[in-house]
Amino acid sequence: MSTNQRRRQWVTGYAFVAPAVALFLVMGLYTIGYSFTLSFAKWNGFTEHWQWVGLDNYLDLLFSDPRRAPEVHNAAGHTAVTMVAVPLGTVVVALPLAVLLNSIRRLRAVLRSIFFLPYVTTGIAVYYAWRYVLEPDGAINLMLRSLGLGSLSRPQGFLADPATALPTLLVIMIWGSVPIAMLLYLSGLQAIDPQIVEAAQVDGAGAVRTLRHITWPLLVPITAAVVLLGMRDTMQGFQTFLLMTNGGPGGHTDVLGLRTYHLAFFQSLSPTLGLASALGWLILLAALALTVLNARLLRAQR
Amino acid sequence: MNGPRARAIAVAATIALALSTTACSDDDPASATPTLEMWTFKRTHVAALQEVATAFKTKTGITVNIQAFTPDDVFTAKIQSAAQTKDLPDVLELHAGGEDMRVGGAGLLADLAGDFAGPGLDRFLTTTRQAGLVTEERKAKTEELKDAKVGTLYSVPFTAGTFGIVYGNREKMQAAGLNPDSPPKTWEQFLSYLQATTKVDAKQGGLSLGLKVSQTGFNWIYEQLAFAYLGEARFQALFAKDGQRFAAPDAVKTLELYSQLTPYWIPGVSALGIDEADVAFAQGKSAFNVGGTFTMAFLAQNGMTPEKMVTFPIPPPAGGKVSDLRLAALALTGLSVTSTTKDKAAAVKWVDFLSSAEGAAIFAKSSLDLPATDLGAQAQALLGPKLAALQQYFTGPKESTYDAANRSFRPPDYDEVPVGTALLKLSPLKEAGAAATGAQLDSVIAAMWVKK
Repeated sequence: MSTNQRRRQWVTGYAFVAPAVALFLVMGLYTIGYSFTLSFAKWNGFTEHWQWVGLDNYLDLLFSDPRRAPEVHNAAGHTAVTMVAVPLGTVVVALPLAVLLNSIRRLRAVLRSIFFLPYVTTGIAVYYAWRYVLEPDGAINLMLRSLGLGSLSRPQGFLADPATALPTLLVIMIWGSVPIAMLLYLSGLQAIDPQIVEAAQVDGAGAVRTLRHITWPLLVPITAAVVLLGMRDTMQGFQTFLLMTNGGPGGHTDVLGLRTYHLAFFQSLSPTLGLASALGWLILLAALALTVLNARLLRAQR
Repeated sequence: MNGPRARAIAVAATIALALSTTACSDDDPASATPTLEMWTFKRTHVAALQEVATAFKTKTGITVNIQAFTPDDVFTAKIQSAAQTKDLPDVLELHAGGEDMRVGGAGLLADLAGDFAGPGLDRFLTTTRQAGLVTEERKAKTEELKDAKVGTLYSVPFTAGTFGIVYGNREKMQAAGLNPDSPPKTWEQFLSYLQATTKVDAKQGGLSLGLKVSQTGFNWIYEQLAFAYLGEARFQALFAKDGQRFAAPDAVKTLELYSQLTPYWIPGVSALGIDEADVAFAQGKSAFNVGGTFTMAFLAQNGMTPEKMVTFPIPPPAGGKVSDLRLAALALTGLSVTSTTKDKAAAVKWVDFLSSAEGAAIFAKSSLDLPATDLGAQAQALLGPKLAALQQYFTGPKESTYDAANRSFRPPDYDEVPVGTALLKLSPLKEAGAAATGAQLDSVIAAMWVKK
């Protein structure tokens, strides 16, 4: 190949890659850099100049502002609970479901579609539907009362009661994340060599033992993916909290993502975009730390 | 005539026609009249504004396009992005006394002092006239105003009103044996009314309020109650930097009074947004609802017409310092002209018309919202007897008048959310007692004074 041809190939290659690189530079690196820079400033989104405040935004959020710091600590606590409960709950529900689905021959496709419904229907309308179901006179309270379990019903509804608001949201989030986890587990189960399972059964292993000592270890990489995806979603996502409780009642369902959103857009145009950016970066740092920790723990199990 | 030649002539004729049409349109006086864009954050105002815009067009030939962006976070994001792209509309309806100062301080609003200041503001209700004016006090308290000149007018008042208005369902009151034409005069009487309506219907006979927005309880009920019980000076001292604040015995008493509402909230009240609470009342899910003067328009739109309701302000508690509580009208929203408008004269003309007696009358009649323009004797005819009657509570001696617009005694950058959350934990959540709530409020207020 001549030098000219090689150069032409080189130019063609880079020409194909250039749009994607440009898009990443503008939409990715630029916004990341912009947000990082903004986290050291005070700005409301439209004044001409930013007011540089150094590390003040970070320090205010962490401890030095007696107004902001307690709110952030409260939200961080709820976020931590969510980050543990949702991935854990997802695994606990999705794995047995996948094993059951994998073990049956009839109706597998139908059941798989049914279990997958929450994923395809999750959206704003579904969150509103959940709110109606969870109201004081909603379907869940009515069902509990009609089954003679009135003591379990919540007269204030499940979202207005401080004792049940967060657990209820966790259940809804698990409900929304089980389908994709179940599908991942199902694909993992179908990739396991049947001979290994048969060998274990020949050696006298029961269903539970097979699951614990054969299936589970082979599914650790999928579990890692499910847990990491769940942690990422729960740390950054806040739409469920925004739409269903807006952090209430009395801050009992406030989470860091929602706090960031409130700091950015619910401060009567005060210059708090820098604080919101700083909180976003603190969330990212926490997410990175937890992801590394989680990956190491799961690797140690292999 | 051969084909190519005919085609060439046809093309030439088309171009000539197009050019002549363009030339004609340049001379067309109709297309030379300006078109203005106006943004609001209140969807309930759109239809009324459009009606005023129609009358304005008839008079001036100027077209005004009205757009609403809701909820508040969407409106905020829209202003932020439009400011960045220099794509703001000509006129904005903004929250008065706060947002207008911040947007104006950023250089995005035109100074209207030359067009309205002085006698130009005389058309507005007295307590609303200064709402859009940069004063020494506002300059000292609002960071964005540090480069602004005292006397700059960033907005003129548009709608006025006050919080702390109770709406009662006449039918439910009658069913409970209460006389709707004799609304409660004291806090204790109000509680007895609530007791009566909840006795008849425990689930749908109580009080609704949008407590999902936690500060509503504090701003719309507690402050009026505490002002009436403690009197003006002691009420203001609750927010002071030092001294006897909410944990003091008399302040704890006000919190106890507020917590007497606990048995009477409708089920699930803390999960209701402001609109949801109003809708619940309109649908007969509560006997009483607390809002502002602006709530009547929304209730009417949802089927609860004024004749089905009684309205009265939060009644003062017996034995308090103020027995005849008055609620000063404050400017709730203001009209601003942006500094980027291409036709400031037309925009000012629109703001002038909208806030004139004629424009405000059209707006008031259509929206059932109180304009800041003093409608004088025609108020009752335009607003209806119910809303007009509320205006009687706007005037009274200063010491008996609760003025929500007076922020001078509060900490700088006073934040309503944490105080609202503390009160929410007292009632309806019952997570803290009155004394603990007082201590919590003190710590919240102290924190606001520490951080400037």
